[in-house]
Amino acid sequence: MLEISHLYKKYLNSERFSVEDLSLSLQPGEIFGFLGQNGAGKSTTIKCLTGIYPFNSGKITICGYDIAKDPINAKLNMGYVPDNHSVYEKLTGREYVNYTADLYKVSKRDRNERFDKYVSQFKLTKAVDTQIKSYSHGMKQKICIIAALIHNPKLWVLDEPMMGLDHQSMAEILKRMDDHCAEGNTVFFSSHNLDLVAKICDRAAIIKDGKLQDVIDLHIKGNKETLEKRFVEITATEQDKINERTLLRRG
Amino acid sequence: MNGNIRTLLRLEIKNRFSNYSLVDYKSYFKLFGTLVITGAVIYALYWVAGLFFEMFDAAGLLYEALVLLVSLIFLFMLFTGVSSTIKVLYYKGDNEILMRYPVSGTEVFVSKTLFLFLTQFCVTAIVMAPFLVAYAGVSGLGTAFYAKIPVPILFLVFITFFLSNILAIPIMHLTNRIRNKFALIIIGLAVLVTLAFALYMLLFNSMVTFMNDKEFSVFSDEMVEIIENTAKWLIPMKYFADVMVGHELYVAYPALIGIQGLSLIGMILVIYFLYAKTLLNNVEVEGSAFKHVTRNRCRPVFLTLMHKEFLQVFRSVNYSFQYFVLACAMPVMVFFCNNITRELGQNQVGEQISLGMTMLVMLIFATVITSFSATSTSREGDNFYHTKVAPVSVRTQLFAKFLMYLLVSVGANAVCLAVLIGSEQMEIRDGLWLFAVVELCSVGLTLLSMRMDIAHPYFNLSGEGEVVNNNASTTMSVAMGFAVALTIGIVCMFLSYLGSLPKPITVPAGAFTLTLDMNFMFVVVSSMTGLFFVVSVLVYTIGLKKTYNRIAR
Repeated sequence: MLEISHLYKKYLNSERFSVEDLSLSLQPGEIFGFLGQNGAGKSTTIKCLTGIYPFNSGKITICGYDIAKDPINAKLNMGYVPDNHSVYEKLTGREYVNYTADLYKVSKRDRNERFDKYVSQFKLTKAVDTQIKSYSHGMKQKICIIAALIHNPKLWVLDEPMMGLDHQSMAEILKRMDDHCAEGNTVFFSSHNLDLVAKICDRAAIIKDGKLQDVIDLHIKGNKETLEKRFVEITATEQDKINERTLLRRG
Repeated sequence: MNGNIRTLLRLEIKNRFSNYSLVDYKSYFKLFGTLVITGAVIYALYWVAGLFFEMFDAAGLLYEALVLLVSLIFLFMLFTGVSSTIKVLYYKGDNEILMRYPVSGTEVFVSKTLFLFLTQFCVTAIVMAPFLVAYAGVSGLGTAFYAKIPVPILFLVFITFFLSNILAIPIMHLTNRIRNKFALIIIGLAVLVTLAFALYMLLFNSMVTFMNDKEFSVFSDEMVEIIENTAKWLIPMKYFADVMVGHELYVAYPALIGIQGLSLIGMILVIYFLYAKTLLNNVEVEGSAFKHVTRNRCRPVFLTLMHKEFLQVFRSVNYSFQYFVLACAMPVMVFFCNNITRELGQNQVGEQISLGMTMLVMLIFATVITSFSATSTSREGDNFYHTKVAPVSVRTQLFAKFLMYLLVSVGANAVCLAVLIGSEQMEIRDGLWLFAVVELCSVGLTLLSMRMDIAHPYFNLSGEGEVVNNNASTTMSVAMGFAVALTIGIVCMFLSYLGSLPKPITVPAGAFTLTLDMNFMFVVVSSMTGLFFVVSVLVYTIGLKKTYNRIAR
C-alpha cells in the first residue's frame, strides 16, 4: 500500500538530514502509528509522502505509484488530514467537501452517499452549510477528515489527528479509522499519544532524529504493554537516563 | 495618569507603529523614506490646495471654497474616526487578550480612547495644515489667520471624535448586516469609487482648464450661484470656516460649543449604555459567518478550481475591492483620464498622439488590476498544502487562477474599449488594435506577477486569512507594469507623431528604405507588445514546476 524506501530529506539551509535513510512498508488493512518526539521527523516524513515536500533521495510509492514520478495517480489513492486543520474558511463545509470531491472526481452518487454518512457520523449536519470560519477547532478537524475520506482513499494519512480534540470527537475519529481499515484500506497516522497507538494500531514505528529506530508489531504478546517503555528507551537522552537512575536509587 | 492606562496606551502605540521600531540601518532608512514620502504628499496637497483656492478666488468664491474644503475634511475625519473606533474599540482581537489580564474594562476603554483621540488629533492637524497654509497664502490673511487656526482645529477634532463614538455602534451593526451580501458590497463600492473618481476628475479637469488660462473663471454664473447657496447650508461645517475667517462669530462660536456639548453628552450616553454590551457581544460572536444552503454539486476539475478561486476573492471585501471593484470602475476611470490627457495632448503636441495617450492610460489601469495576481500563491496562506496534495497538476491549478484573471482583464478592457468607441474618443479599427495590445500586455504582466509570487511567496496572513500588506512581488508588479506602460505608450505617441507629419521621414536600412509613417508605428508597437508577451510566457513557463515544488509550507 505504502512503500518508503531509503528516504532522505534535508531542508534548505540545514546542515543535517531531517529524515535519514527511512524505509517503511505498510500493508492493506492495517492501522500504522508513527511515533516520535517533537522535531523527530514525523511531520517531515508525512509531508514528503503526501507530495508537499520534495525529498533528496529515496522512493515513495502509494498503491504502486511513485509520488515523484506519477504524483497524480499516487495522490488519487491517498487522503490527507494536516496537523493544523487548515481549510478554505470562506467556503461552507459542503462547498469545501464538494471542491475536494471534484478534484478527486468522485461521482455524484458516491459523493451524496459518503457525504451524508460522514456528516451524520461526525455530527456536522447543522453546521455543514455554514462558512467554515465559524467552526470550532474540532469541527474544522472533522470537515478536514470528511474531505480526506470523500474519495474513499486506499491510504489515509493523518498528522497528529487527535490534537486538541475532546473525548467524543476522538472516539468518532477512532471509529472511522477502524471502519476504514475494515474495508481493506490503510491508515497511517503520527501521534504523541502512546496509549492511543497501543490501543488501536496494528504496528507502530518510532523515529528519532530523522532515523527509524524500530517498528513494533503490536499483535505480538507483550508489545502493547511495553510500547511506552521501549519508546522511552529509544527516545530518552543521556540526561533523561541519568535522571531516571537517580530516581530509581532514591526508591 | 493611572499606571495601567499608561502601559496599555504605550502597548497600543507600540503595536500600531511596530513597523517603525528603529533597530538597524534598514529601519532608519524605512522611517526616513516614509517621512520623505509624507513630506512630498503634504507639499503636493499644499500645491493643489493653492491652485484650488486660486481657481475659486478668480470667481469670487474664496470663502465658499474654504467651506467646501472644511466640509470635505469634516466628512473625511468622521469617516476615518468611525472606522478607527470600530476597529480599535470593538473589533480588535486584543480585546479578548486584554480581558484576561488584571486590568479593568474602564482602563482598557480609556487607553484605547486616548489612542483614538491622539490619532484623530494628529491626522486632523496633518490633513488640514497644507490646506490652511495655502488658504492663508491666497487670501492674504497672513498671521492673523494662523493665530486663529488652532481653535477650529480643536473644535473639529473634538466634534468628529465625539460623533465617531456615537455613530460607531449603529454603523457597525449596519455593516454586520450587509457584511455577507457580497454582490451588494461590490456594486456599492464600485458605484462609490466611480462617483468619487468622476468627481475628482471633473475637479481636476477644471483645474487644468484654469491653469491654461488663469484670467478667466472656470465657473458659469449659475454654478457660482449653486456653490454660494450650497456653502450657506453646509451646517455645521461652515461654522469652522467662519471661526477661521472671523465671519459671523456670534453665531459660529455658540453653534460649535453647542454641537460639541451635545455630541459629548451623546457619546457619554452611548458608552455608558452600549459599550460593554457591544464589546462582549463582539468577543463572544465568532466571526461573521453566513449560511449558504446548497446541494452537492459535481463540477469538472478545472471549473471547480476556478469556482473556488472566485469565491475566495468574491467573499472577501478586501480582495473584492482590490480586484473586482477596480475592474468595474476601470472603464469610467479610463474615460475621464483619456478625455483629459487627450485635451492636454491636443493643446500641446497635436491630435496625433491621442492613441498613444489612450494606450498609456489603459495600460496604467490594467497594471493596477493585474498586480492582484502578484498574490495568487501567497493568498493560499495555510491552505497552500492543498495545492500540493491535490491530484491535479500544478500547471492546471495555476492556469485556473490565470484564467480568472484573464476573464476579468478581458471584460474590463472590452468595456473600456466600448466606452471609448461609444463616446467617439476612438475609431473602431484603432480600438480593436488597442484592445489587442493592452490585452497582450495584461496577460504578460499577469504571468510575470504570478511567477514572481511563486518564486517569493509571502504567507504571512492576517486574522481573516487574507494578505493585508502588499508583498514585494506586488510592488515589483506595479513598477514593471508602469515601465511597460510608459515604454510602449511613449513609443506609440512618438511614432504616431512622426507618422502623421505632412512629409513622413524615410530612413535607409540596407537594401530597404523605412518610411516612418503610421503603419510603421503599428508594426513597431505590435512587435514590442508581441515580444513582451513571448518573453513573459517563457519566463513564466521555464522552471515553473521546479520553483513551485520548492515552496515548502
